[in-house]
Amino acid sequence: MTDYEAVIGLETHIQLNTLTKIFCACKADSWNAAPNTNICPVCSGLPGVLPVLNEKAVEKAMLLAAAMHAQIQSLSFFDRKNYFYPDLPKGYQISMYEAPLATGGYLDLPLPQNEARRVRIAKLHLEEDAGKTKNAGGKRLIDFNRCGVPLVEMVTSPDLRSAEEAAQYLTRLRQLLRWLGVSEADMEKGHLRCDANVSIRPRGAAYLNPKTEIKNVNSIDAVREAVQKEIERQAREMEAGHTIESWTLEWDEDSGKLKKMRSKETEADYRYFHEPDLLPLHISEEWKKSILTALPELPLERRQRFVTQYGLPEYDADILTAERSLSDYYEQTVKAYGGDPKKVSNWLMNDVLRMLNEKGMTADQLRLLPAHLAEIIRLIDEGVINNATGKSLLEKVQASGETPAAIVAREGLAKVSDDAAIRSICQEVIAENPAEVENYRNGKATLMGWFVGQVMRKMRGKADPNLARAILEELLAQ
Amino acid sequence: MSALTDLTLRAALQGLRQGAFSSCDLTEACLERIERLDGTLHAFLTLTPELARQQAQAADQQYAAWRQDPSRGLPPLLGVPLAVKDVFCVSGVRTTCGSHILENFVPPYSATPVERLLEAGMVMLGKTNTDEFAMGSSTENSAYGATRNPWQPERVPGGSSGGSAACVAARMAPAALGSDTGGSVRQPASFCGICGIKPTYGRVSRYGLVAYGSSLDCPGAFARSVEDVALLFERMAGFDRRDATCVDVPLPEIHLPSEGESSPLRGVRVGVPQEYFIQGIQPAVEQAVRQAIAEMERLGASVEAVALPHTAYALPVYYLIAPAEASANLARYDGVRFGPRQPADTLWEMFRRTRGVGFGAEVKRRIMLGTYALSAGYYDAYYGQAQKVRTLIKQDFECAFEKVDVIAAPVAPSTAFRFGEHSEDPLAMYLEDVFTLPANLAGVPGLAFPVGFDAQGLPIGIQLMAAHYREDILFRVGHAYQLATEWHLQPPPLYV
Repeated sequence: MTDYEAVIGLETHIQLNTLTKIFCACKADSWNAAPNTNICPVCSGLPGVLPVLNEKAVEKAMLLAAAMHAQIQSLSFFDRKNYFYPDLPKGYQISMYEAPLATGGYLDLPLPQNEARRVRIAKLHLEEDAGKTKNAGGKRLIDFNRCGVPLVEMVTSPDLRSAEEAAQYLTRLRQLLRWLGVSEADMEKGHLRCDANVSIRPRGAAYLNPKTEIKNVNSIDAVREAVQKEIERQAREMEAGHTIESWTLEWDEDSGKLKKMRSKETEADYRYFHEPDLLPLHISEEWKKSILTALPELPLERRQRFVTQYGLPEYDADILTAERSLSDYYEQTVKAYGGDPKKVSNWLMNDVLRMLNEKGMTADQLRLLPAHLAEIIRLIDEGVINNATGKSLLEKVQASGETPAAIVAREGLAKVSDDAAIRSICQEVIAENPAEVENYRNGKATLMGWFVGQVMRKMRGKADPNLARAILEELLAQ
Repeated sequence: MSALTDLTLRAALQGLRQGAFSSCDLTEACLERIERLDGTLHAFLTLTPELARQQAQAADQQYAAWRQDPSRGLPPLLGVPLAVKDVFCVSGVRTTCGSHILENFVPPYSATPVERLLEAGMVMLGKTNTDEFAMGSSTENSAYGATRNPWQPERVPGGSSGGSAACVAARMAPAALGSDTGGSVRQPASFCGICGIKPTYGRVSRYGLVAYGSSLDCPGAFARSVEDVALLFERMAGFDRRDATCVDVPLPEIHLPSEGESSPLRGVRVGVPQEYFIQGIQPAVEQAVRQAIAEMERLGASVEAVALPHTAYALPVYYLIAPAEASANLARYDGVRFGPRQPADTLWEMFRRTRGVGFGAEVKRRIMLGTYALSAGYYDAYYGQAQKVRTLIKQDFECAFEKVDVIAAPVAPSTAFRFGEHSEDPLAMYLEDVFTLPANLAGVPGLAFPVGFDAQGLPIGIQLMAAHYREDILFRVGHAYQLATEWHLQPPPLYV
């Protein structure tokens, strides 16, 4: 069998999380709203009304464009894309065509073995969303709520080479969108939508075969699965000597199967022309500058820096930079702590992340501040408390907002390292458990742990366990 | 004493302030006259007498309160009746655009120019007839029947704002709103012997004006004197954040010459473009326009020739750009929400049938023209090329206005034509707009007013054009001319 490689391009639609729609004052988000309750004359296309551009949508698109290393154009135009469909109330969509908001751009996708796949961006522009239709009871129903929601359409070049890479791209894109705060990027809610163009060719070939387009994939897992199945189908077809036809396929989530929607006919003629109701979009240097000062360090850059600056394993760096507030939290803790950054990473990955998951919070919402966590680690380092006390302090600080030191002082949680106090408790334990003492002295050395545990229990965990063990060994040897 | 309906807007305002009559008196006089004449003229598509009476009563109360306490102030156009072309949305009032496809559309909002005139105190009489979606030069394309010219009922009033022009000429209203995409205010003003302004593009908000050719559409106004038109314009104009193409350029103070002023046009340079005095123009029209220019010279203006070399291209350019924009603007009328939905087995068949039944022949013709001009493979040769030539036409005006303050030209090649005279020949009909289209393509303001009559007693109009945002100079020249002449005071010899 020929060794094939896949050639994949992804077309994404990203719903920007602006407060209002792109050309009117309706709320942008209609999640849970009853059909046709979040509409106005403008977004529902009544006669005589006019669009007015929401600059916030432009600004969020500018941030995304800059993060994708695309060139933001000083002059761009909105265009009318003409087609008839019942969910398109004006009979045209306001989009961008020959002079889009930004050109060029790429995302470097980290691959195993420190490699990266450069995924080029072929298209990046702003547009308005259309509504939704569905069939019910022999009728076709229309909901205009989504009309006019601001979208960025972003299309990659055919640079992805496997289903896994396609999934990786979407994961990284979703991470970036949330990192920038420009979209909720929830695929299940349609904030991030993806169509995949797939073709295959013998590995190393430079030409492109006819491609199929997969629509209606609503999660990253579904993209991975649908693309993989399509690659396999195309390989089977080619091996059988068939040619691949340019179909549009629909992913059926329930059956996990691809279904043919239609043969791709000639390219539709959308008769684009500049939207005369809107002025050309001029983006001045000052405007661009004022928006791009808010551009943060990007996730993949930060991930790399965590490896080099803090000596973290890639695995840790990846998890800690999955989300912007967590990575900020990490750095603030490292700074406040001043000690081994890997130790801080362990605390975050084991304990703080669990806490976040349980509470459904993000790191910036915790009452347990980076300074608190740093203090807890330091108290352990200094031998003031033991590890178990340190872990229990996490919840206590989170619940009360008090500093760890204050809780330790009030609850008397500091380790007892006073030899005399521990010794008297050890003597008590030995006196109360003659049978165990007998067994120990007869050679059952594993009972030492049990004796230490008894001492710790009597001292409510405050004893220095190493000291207790030493004293017990001394007393039991007598 | 002349009838209340003969009063100009300014005279009516004066009478209302002095308490010579009430807004209710004036409104009833208009409604009565509409009742008497409109069966023949058919200027109105929808009358709003209840609304008019309510607004008139409210106006009279405001006048009464003002007389008690003059410090309260008054809205500037309080109590004067207004007719509105049926392409402007008026909240709660049916808005048809002269089309079957909108026969039941009642907008929940008002167009900005309507809102501003109502805020200024005007009284809404009703909605006037128009060529379907403002596409036409005669009102013969209205789905609800044509309007007749008050001067001669077998002739058209011009169009597309023919209903508004006819109702003002016939003294059914002292003022009316119109829209001008390629001459639709100026040409009917000329045919009906009244005055009409097409402002600078962007000067008056298009919000609530049902779109035809979005980059050309201008709300405009009719009245029986230039002074009245200026009063309306001042209230309509100005920035509106609901229209992104409406500019925030301050209105220049309008200084109208006063009676008895000698040489009121001293320092004004009038340009005469040879391209507008072409073969085929009705001799009486040319003669009247040239006489009017001579009168302006007598009033102190200097007159010189100017060149607008790309004038001949305005017609083809317009009939590519306007239909292209229209083809998109009218896509929303698909039977889903608007229009008498036609039953069909498939969605696409429903679209086709509804639009087939809902639109008239001229609208369909322009949608097809525009769709073709924008199609892949033709775009560059048609729409794209038209945009380039449009730039040249704009530059013609920029050059000319470096030399002169206003350009004077005929409004149309002929006076009002007979019904059916052009309706079988779309190209002949399109030629009616040949002198008015360039101002829309360039975005410059134009003012039409009467300057004489032909041998049949039909009014002849002149148009003055000025640089962007210089409506003030148009009003100055027009008013000076009207102080010295009486053409605008001639009423049509009504046959009823």
